[in-house]
Amino acid sequence: MDVRIEQIGKKEEELVLIRCRAVTDEVREIAAFVKSRQGRLSGVADAKQYEIAVSEICYIESVDGKTFLYTGSGVYESAYRIYELEEQLKSKHFLRISKPMLVNLMKIQAIQPAFNGRFTAVLHSGEKVIISRSYVKALKAALKGE
Amino acid sequence: MEFKRFLVNKLTLFFALSTLIAVAVSLIGSAFDSQARFGYGVMLKPIEYAALCLLPTFVTWSRRELSPKALLLRKALMLLLLEGVMLFIAFASPDMDTERPEVVLVIAGSVLVVFVLANLFLWLKDAAEAKNLNRDLEKFQKLYEGADGEEAP
Repeated sequence: MDVRIEQIGKKEEELVLIRCRAVTDEVREIAAFVKSRQGRLSGVADAKQYEIAVSEICYIESVDGKTFLYTGSGVYESAYRIYELEEQLKSKHFLRISKPMLVNLMKIQAIQPAFNGRFTAVLHSGEKVIISRSYVKALKAALKGE
Repeated sequence: MEFKRFLVNKLTLFFALSTLIAVAVSLIGSAFDSQARFGYGVMLKPIEYAALCLLPTFVTWSRRELSPKALLLRKALMLLLLEGVMLFIAFASPDMDTERPEVVLVIAGSVLVVFVLANLFLWLKDAAEAKNLNRDLEKFQKLYEGADGEEAP
């Protein structure tokens, strides 16, 4: 696939156009990447596709090889793997807190101890997620902006 | 947690337990049977006891992250198993006067006290760490509040 970048005037609307013979997984992946860079992710719920603002997502979990986006009001399945989302969203305040989970640091209300060096993150949605001991160091560094 | 990492943690615990058991046996022995004399074989006893005491801790292992409630239940099970192991050691040892109920009670009570104190200490340490994390979280959220979509450094 050839990549062309065209500079436009300030008044024109920016657009990423993908010209392809078929909408393959690769094309969907590129489209989803562009959306995630703009602060939106695609998710499927009840066989319908939705565009979810990244800032609305409380946490992301991988369950049995599937990835789910949890907002305060719904759950959406994402086509991405958790490690791909980790890479895409690390600049959007998302952090890995256990092997199958990323959390939006802006959605954490409080952090509580949870035995054995682990912690519980209480989210604004009222849900509680476990911060695994092996990810606490990374959490401390992220909160300190390191 | 990975099983390999879990095993490394248990190995650290094993060495800590060996030392603490040697101290506990020495204190209890001095209180109840200070005139007793032993052979060199007794030097291995704390190591044997530590290895036996380590076995119940394996009930806390899980491939998936346990919820605090599930972990609490497993810890309670671990305490019961620990009491069982310690009493088994006491009754199997010819040097311990288990016919005296107070000796059995002191052993069972010691296990409970050490278990509760160790977990309380760890909880307090985690609570202090959580306080620092909450302080840093508040600062972090204030810094990026209303700036959704802006990239963190």
